[in-house]
Amino acid sequence: MQESQQFSGSLPGTGYTHSPFSNFERAVKDPKFIHSLENTSLFVGGSILITLGLSFFLAISVYELNKKFQGICLFLLLIPSFALPGSLATLFYLFFHGKFGALNQFLVIPLGFDPINWMMDPSWILPCLVLQAVWRWTGVITLVLYCGIRAIPHWQFEVARIEGASAWTKVRTILFPGTRHLLLFSGIFLLVDGVAAFSGAYNLLGGSGGVLDAGLLFVTYAYQVAFPGGSGRFDLPLASAACVLVAGTTACFAWLLLRVRKRMGN
Amino acid sequence: MNRLFSPILTGLVLLITAYPFAWMFLSSFKTNREIYQPGKMLPESFDPFAYKLLFSGELFDFTAVLVRSLLLAGGQAIFACLVTAATGFALAKGRFRGKSLLFWAALLIILYPKQAMSLALFEWMARLEITGNLYGLMLSGVASGLGVIFFTQVFRKVPDELIDLAKVEGQSPFFCFFTLLPLIFPALCTYGILHFFLCWQEHLLPLLTLGTDQLTLPLALAKLGDSSYHTPEAVGLAAGVLAMIPLFLLFGYFFRRVRTALADWVVS
Repeated sequence: MQESQQFSGSLPGTGYTHSPFSNFERAVKDPKFIHSLENTSLFVGGSILITLGLSFFLAISVYELNKKFQGICLFLLLIPSFALPGSLATLFYLFFHGKFGALNQFLVIPLGFDPINWMMDPSWILPCLVLQAVWRWTGVITLVLYCGIRAIPHWQFEVARIEGASAWTKVRTILFPGTRHLLLFSGIFLLVDGVAAFSGAYNLLGGSGGVLDAGLLFVTYAYQVAFPGGSGRFDLPLASAACVLVAGTTACFAWLLLRVRKRMGN
Repeated sequence: MNRLFSPILTGLVLLITAYPFAWMFLSSFKTNREIYQPGKMLPESFDPFAYKLLFSGELFDFTAVLVRSLLLAGGQAIFACLVTAATGFALAKGRFRGKSLLFWAALLIILYPKQAMSLALFEWMARLEITGNLYGLMLSGVASGLGVIFFTQVFRKVPDELIDLAKVEGQSPFFCFFTLLPLIFPALCTYGILHFFLCWQEHLLPLLTLGTDQLTLPLALAKLGDSSYHTPEAVGLAAGVLAMIPLFLLFGYFFRRVRTALADWVVS
């Protein structure tokens, strides 16, 4: 609230006479804002679920590999996170995307579907962004979870071996409880990073929301509203109100998750 | 888990993570026509025309962009290490009012998406008249919540006796802090790399504050991807390859140390 007033006060020409909450009202009533929020929640939810699931099993897999290969595997997995989100987007566009791109060539066509026009089809833009996020973060999360698995006391695995426990039982009774707090931590990290995702979408879609705004993420929306280049509205008060709303909610949510973790007694 | 399952899953994911980057490196030597056939791996000839074009300065001064990004990320990492380590030292070993409040505030900063703070930061920087200035931008990222939490945990492990000793010797807390720095050198390295990494990839704030004549790497990449430039695709890929190299070297060199520090941190 204070922030939005500060903005309207400091920029001549945008100083409305309004009640302190009118910027928030305008934000909530903007259909584009709501749309961007829906997109962002789908994006964040999807990328968290896929990344955590994949990383969990990947970390176990790497742990069970020969010791010699573990280091090099982890390092290779980290490669996508070294690249700038911008070049990830370019690479995605050139390598995976397109009728002859890797996704269509090796996945969609062999499964017997028609090639998908990933960037132009409104229903596929968001999955595209999710895949990109998964691709980028899986290595980092895997490294964290791997360290977590290494920290599990070895006698637990010995007991499981003696009892002849199945792989699934091992996952359920040793590996999952042992890395639960790290999964939560990674989830929070991905949540905060996902809400703030900007660079990848900016490069892939050139600062726009894509066809029918199907790929309009929240930060892109705020950028469009606040700075000319998007719609040129230069509406800093609205953008800051939106930011305060979203970031505040995210921070509260993440904080609540942390509290829950304490309750669980970890 | 199943004997076959682990190698297969790992191999598959490794293929997805590493193969496109090998393709990216090789494609930086290709012509557009070759690049638009993603199934193709090797270029027809290893002609580094894209790299030559980048460094010739025809598009923009790429060397300056590299230097600027290195300066920004490196400088910010060093400053951030010093500032957050000092804060962590105070929070872990000092006794004063509002300590836990400050700790929670640092935690809140981590949970608050940084991009959403960009507008407020931009406003502050405009007021201090340090926009369009690399050093202003460097300053803006120095106070990092992650660093404060990390170093508080690190300094909590440092025995109190050392600080008591310094007090008995009549040293100031500042002196005490600086003499303790070598002791936490691994942690400093780890956090420095992490901060460098994050700053290196920062896109929105440089976009807002720096002028068009002061590009950093993410901005330059976005510009190369812009269709109005009509540059061959290989140039964008070459820039991407060059942007990866510093992180590659840093991580490659410090990987073992980072892993140890991570494993330590996971346990705590």
